[in-house]
Amino acid sequence: MKFVFTLIVAGLSVGSIYALIAITLNLSFWTTRTVNFGQGAVLMLCAMSTAFMSRSGVAIWLAAGLGIAAAAVASIAAERISVRPALRAAGSMGWVVSTLGFGICLQGVVAKYLGGQAIAFPDVVLSSTTFVELFGLRIGAQYLLIICFSLLTIVVLDLTLRHTIWGRVVMAVAQDRELAEVFGIPVTRVVTISFALSGVVAGVAGILTAQLIGTVDAAFGFSLLISGFVAGIVGGFGNDWGALVGGLLVGVIEQLVAGFVSTSAGHAVSLSLLMAILALRPQGLLGRPEVLKV
Amino acid sequence: MNAIRGALSKAICNRLVGLILCIALWIAAPYLPEATRQMISFAIINILLANSINVLTGMAGQISLGQAAFMGIAAYASVLLVKSEILPSWLSIICATLLAAVAGGLLSFPAGRVREFYLAMMTLAFGMIFIELVRDLEPITGGVMGITGIPSSQLHSLRVFGLLVTTTDYLRLLVVVGGVALFALDHFTRSRFGRAYFAVRESELAARSIGIQSDAIKRQAYLISAFLAGLAGALYGHLVSYIGPESFELQRSIEILAMSVIGGLGSLAGQVLGAVALTWLPLQLEIFADFKFIIYGALLVGIFVVMPRGLAGLLFLPPRVVDQRLLAASRAVVADSTPAIRQRAAGELVLRWRNLQRDFAGLRAVSDFSFDLYTGKVAALVGPNGSGKSTTVNVLAGLYPPSAGEILLKGKSIAGLPSDAIARRGMVRTFQDPRLIGHFTILENTLLGAHLKYRYGLLEAVTGLGRTSKDERIALSRAESILAFVGLTDVRDRVLETLPYGYRRLVEVARALMVEPDVILLDEPAAGLSDLEITRLASVIHTLRARGIAVLIIDHHMDFLAGIADSVIVLDSGVEIYRGDMEGMRRDERVAECYLGKLPGDA
Repeated sequence: MKFVFTLIVAGLSVGSIYALIAITLNLSFWTTRTVNFGQGAVLMLCAMSTAFMSRSGVAIWLAAGLGIAAAAVASIAAERISVRPALRAAGSMGWVVSTLGFGICLQGVVAKYLGGQAIAFPDVVLSSTTFVELFGLRIGAQYLLIICFSLLTIVVLDLTLRHTIWGRVVMAVAQDRELAEVFGIPVTRVVTISFALSGVVAGVAGILTAQLIGTVDAAFGFSLLISGFVAGIVGGFGNDWGALVGGLLVGVIEQLVAGFVSTSAGHAVSLSLLMAILALRPQGLLGRPEVLKV
Repeated sequence: MNAIRGALSKAICNRLVGLILCIALWIAAPYLPEATRQMISFAIINILLANSINVLTGMAGQISLGQAAFMGIAAYASVLLVKSEILPSWLSIICATLLAAVAGGLLSFPAGRVREFYLAMMTLAFGMIFIELVRDLEPITGGVMGITGIPSSQLHSLRVFGLLVTTTDYLRLLVVVGGVALFALDHFTRSRFGRAYFAVRESELAARSIGIQSDAIKRQAYLISAFLAGLAGALYGHLVSYIGPESFELQRSIEILAMSVIGGLGSLAGQVLGAVALTWLPLQLEIFADFKFIIYGALLVGIFVVMPRGLAGLLFLPPRVVDQRLLAASRAVVADSTPAIRQRAAGELVLRWRNLQRDFAGLRAVSDFSFDLYTGKVAALVGPNGSGKSTTVNVLAGLYPPSAGEILLKGKSIAGLPSDAIARRGMVRTFQDPRLIGHFTILENTLLGAHLKYRYGLLEAVTGLGRTSKDERIALSRAESILAFVGLTDVRDRVLETLPYGYRRLVEVARALMVEPDVILLDEPAAGLSDLEITRLASVIHTLRARGIAVLIIDHHMDFLAGIADSVIVLDSGVEIYRGDMEGMRRDERVAECYLGKLPGDA
């Protein structure tokens, strides 16, 4: 029982990170109707550069800040280089391939210049050996902190989108891009901002994950991105609260299977969940089906 | 530039050139240095892989990021079967290839339900599940350590029929397999299947509207694609002496995709170029090997912007999807005198709908609408935007089922049937925005409508034998007589996207007529046409009427309708408000009201 409880807490913790990643995908999905298949490299860049700077003596908070800035820049670059030109062609094939290419390229650059080996990630707030007592059980404080931080980020993001002018503008562009343009909304700038924000949150997710795992390497973003896909798809793509539900669900299932069978089996189960949801209910658990227009 | 392209295209289209190349490789095989032999072997395997993407993504439009898994399934299966001495090597390669094809067939069921980036995610997940399983099933697959000491040509330990296979023999085997595969694919691309794949890629809706079962086509595409990737995988397994999970990871899938995209999706010659280039370059250029994934990534980012048709687009003219020799042969014969449109008895009830209703999430788009359509009659459906005209046509044509009511085509209920089944029963529709294939010629676009008329099967298609040429010739001559009928003979060999928009409507009508429908539904056929084109369209519709075809037409152009319609129905907010002749409609107060609003002073 104790074991199960620990797994569930760990699951909620990684699940909340998956939710964050799914939300970063939503942010850019709303404004451009594209999914950045290179997002894994963006969050990897943040974690890698943070670890690298901290190792060379930069204060951890500064390193994290610069890492997040790097992620924002990378995300903006992803939009400029791989989304905007590809959107001129019809269909999704162009931008799926080009954002994927962007991610591979970025991953290649990081592997080349920051090294292909895993590097240890420094403690940002708490070390992995800090524990707290909860219901008579010893729980890693890190897990709880990550859950709280992710939830906080999601709530802040949701409030921003609902109650600030920029949030509303993003929603207007999401509803109808052309109409927003006609009304004088600077759509290009909104798109850039949504990608920047997406990069910032992705950077945060990258640092949180790296903190949890303890090491980072150039390949570490991609499987996280897939988990973000699973979270987003399970909850319904483009729906933030769906992403949260999906992320937590996937995180817990994955940890339970990993705990009782194996880590690979955990991944296989969450990937199978992705395929099953896509086949049976593509709009996700909380989404509404799209209506065909001719 | 185009002259060079033309000459190059002619050279690659010539099968003799391919045959000579294969024979040259066969003869040269023993004299090549070991490294070159190996490189050519890898290149041929990559050609098969690139083509597996080309069939699925380039032709059928289904993106795949998990192609390496098919390769891996066959490689592991074949290697394990041979290693455990269950099957002889030649049989295990065949069985493993078929196993991969089965896996592709199974994947097509969930994959057929999603499209675009959802499909990309699903195939990505499929590829990763395979890798996780390989890692997890260590007792069988060797887990992350992989399988070493495989009976292979490199280790001189592979035996076929008891004979030891050298690397020369293996290269020769690959040359034969690759040559046969390319020969079959070349036929396939120019067959009814190849054209139907492109139609599905362009628009599944349009493909179904002319009777192409897009689900079956996609399933077949997965089967063929997985077969090719599996063949490559099984052959790869016995070429090298080691396989492990990393041989079939995402990176490999991306490499395959890169070859195919850089070569040029949709072009067979492009696939060969892309595969050869990306096999050769990393081995020759150190810088390429060093920066492999940076370069691959950059290529994938840039390719669709810089060279949307890849290397093939740069070097060759766009490939044609009709066998040019058959076309020439069919044109050499004097056109037969049978009219393009068969005569039918007029005045028979052919399409009847009763109490038709269609709701969209709280909105009733069509409500309690009934009508009888007779052969040899033209009925017009008019009304302001949002009045339910297009919804009616969409429901009749099977785009979505009616919420209530019945639809009888020739006395049989068709309500709820998919549009390809309705097309097969003799009712075809056109779209408001013509859905044609831009890189096809007008003739090729028209030919798509013949899909239901062919009799030849897949095996005949890939060999070019059996009923293939007869069927193709019949379809070609019918397409040409229909094009003559709609007045497009002059431009029949022009690529559609090089022509003005106005041609598209007529091409779509021609394509629909190829299906030999008894009922044709035209959704705003005159929109965007010049006066001259409208006159031509009107005369086409007149002839259809005279031949006994029933026509239901939506349009806003009243003068055009006045010249052709026998009766007119006016819809407003999904409800019929007028039925009768055009003259009466012009005088009807309710019709005037719904278009112009209530006039001041009216009661």
